[in-house]
Amino acid sequence: MSISLFFHLMNLETKKLMSYRVDFWLTMLVNLVVNLLVLWTLWTAIFNESGKEVIGGWDLDGILAYGVLVFLTGRIVRGGDLQMAVSNDIYEGALSRYLLYPRQYTVTKYAQQLGNVFPDLLQSLMMGCAAIPLLVNSSTASVTPLSIAMTLPAILVAHLLFFLLGLIPQYIAFWADNVWSLSVLLRFVTMLLGGATLPISLFPDQVQEVLHWLPFVYLFEFPTMVALGKVGMSEYLQGIGSCLLWCVLVGAASIPVWKRGDLRYTGVGI
Amino acid sequence: MIRVENLRKVFRVHSKKPGLKASIRSLFRRDWIEKAAVAGASFQINEGEIVGLIGANGAGKTTLVKMLSGIIHPSSGQADVLGHVPWQRDDAYRRQIALVMGQKAQMWWDLPGSDCFDLLREIYQIPADEYRNSLKRLTEMLNVEDELNIQIRRLSLGERMKMELIAALLHSPRVVYLDEPTIGLDITTQRSVRDFLLDYRRENAPAMILTSHYMEDIEKLCKRIIIMREGEIVYDGSLERVLLEYAPYKQLRLNVHRDSSTPLNREALDKMGEVITCEPGSLCLRIGRDRIPEVAAELLRIYSVIDLSIEDPEIGDTIERIMAGASGDQD
Repeated sequence: MSISLFFHLMNLETKKLMSYRVDFWLTMLVNLVVNLLVLWTLWTAIFNESGKEVIGGWDLDGILAYGVLVFLTGRIVRGGDLQMAVSNDIYEGALSRYLLYPRQYTVTKYAQQLGNVFPDLLQSLMMGCAAIPLLVNSSTASVTPLSIAMTLPAILVAHLLFFLLGLIPQYIAFWADNVWSLSVLLRFVTMLLGGATLPISLFPDQVQEVLHWLPFVYLFEFPTMVALGKVGMSEYLQGIGSCLLWCVLVGAASIPVWKRGDLRYTGVGI
Repeated sequence: MIRVENLRKVFRVHSKKPGLKASIRSLFRRDWIEKAAVAGASFQINEGEIVGLIGANGAGKTTLVKMLSGIIHPSSGQADVLGHVPWQRDDAYRRQIALVMGQKAQMWWDLPGSDCFDLLREIYQIPADEYRNSLKRLTEMLNVEDELNIQIRRLSLGERMKMELIAALLHSPRVVYLDEPTIGLDITTQRSVRDFLLDYRRENAPAMILTSHYMEDIEKLCKRIIIMREGEIVYDGSLERVLLEYAPYKQLRLNVHRDSSTPLNREALDKMGEVITCEPGSLCLRIGRDRIPEVAAELLRIYSVIDLSIEDPEIGDTIERIMAGASGDQD
């Protein structure tokens, strides 16, 4: 696929999302207010109850900063919550349209999902600015211009990994038609094991050991730790490399599933 | 250009009896049935030909089109379209075909046509000049120049179908599959779509396969038809020949003077052919094509005739009878 087509698809998807102005602002405001409220209430209560200044290497401001940043980066990584897009195409028969085009379906779909990143990126930047007071007072974390600049590549590879991880469960739609429950399960698992609900450092040591051998930590925790300035340069490069390696492995594993599933596709709806 | 040999598609579908008990049972054990949607189709279509693919719902028309356009894989058989196997989905093949689905929107609903067409230009890598000329010509032919900047979902059904046609033909495909392109459209729009397709074919000579339930589409656009019944091709030939093969009779209508000295004699008429109506002063008979001169001469001799006409049966009725199971040369 040519770069110009890739950007054209992205651009089109962005335009599509931005055409719904009310939805754009409402999503952002509701998300920000609800998340800040939940984070603040929950962690303030935990710190007050425990009477500790630092829990698992985090002070209250640090954990709030983590919560805000993992929420902001997570929205971009999930790319507009389109993890059902492929299975919906299969279920509803919309895949037929893409199979007619002289372009590879998954690359087309990825370009479209990447197009969803821009509105999320814009929203996350605006929400980040609004939440700055929560991000600057911690003694256990520090957000700097360099850490923010390093975060962007980490988010992009995490976005690619998230997309690829979702492919195999979605391809199950070739056999099972409706895989909504599977997608919800995948979302729950990736959020929990990827550090989107709690920093991995708060998990038991054995679990942390296992999680570092799995791809999920690169989805949410890694970009957030980079943004918080908790990842050194060599560790950063190693993390980006590992994430890309997981992308290759997961992407390669999805190819035979696609090929088998494609034989079963019936193109319902036409 | 299109060569199909013994193409078959068998679908395995889940069968469930009605009721809650059966629903619970199906959670643990499912019954499957195999259904041959296309049961060994063979035909050939040449450049510039428009072939009407006709059949009742579930006859296998759309499944056949899906296989030829490469959307689905066949269970067995072969197809060669423009030197490619459709379901291998070579880019070179997909650049030369188009599929218009009357029942399924293919464009991006939230975007105006101009944005969709621009994306298709990128997808098909159409050179800028060629794209501009093609878009201008197609929008003029379909008279939708003013609708290009309106979101697709805000257009009327007819306008949307016109946009679908433009989207399908922008890259000047050599093979066009049209699956019920006029379904749900009003009579005026149906006519304009038909006229457009005829003009487009005259100028570009693509091979076209058209499925439609509207006989007017078929009569106006196709010289050749393929009729499918329960997955099988039961007729492949010219539209004219279908009457000779499946309706080897004509209808003879006669008006006679009411005060004629010779009243219409039902017994004598039954010997001449099948009496469809027989009322004082008028008569309609179905007669074998080879007996028309003899019967007409006899009627003119016996009765005081005001008017006599000999008509072919309605082609739509004939095709409907074939779809329902009538066989050739038996009527």
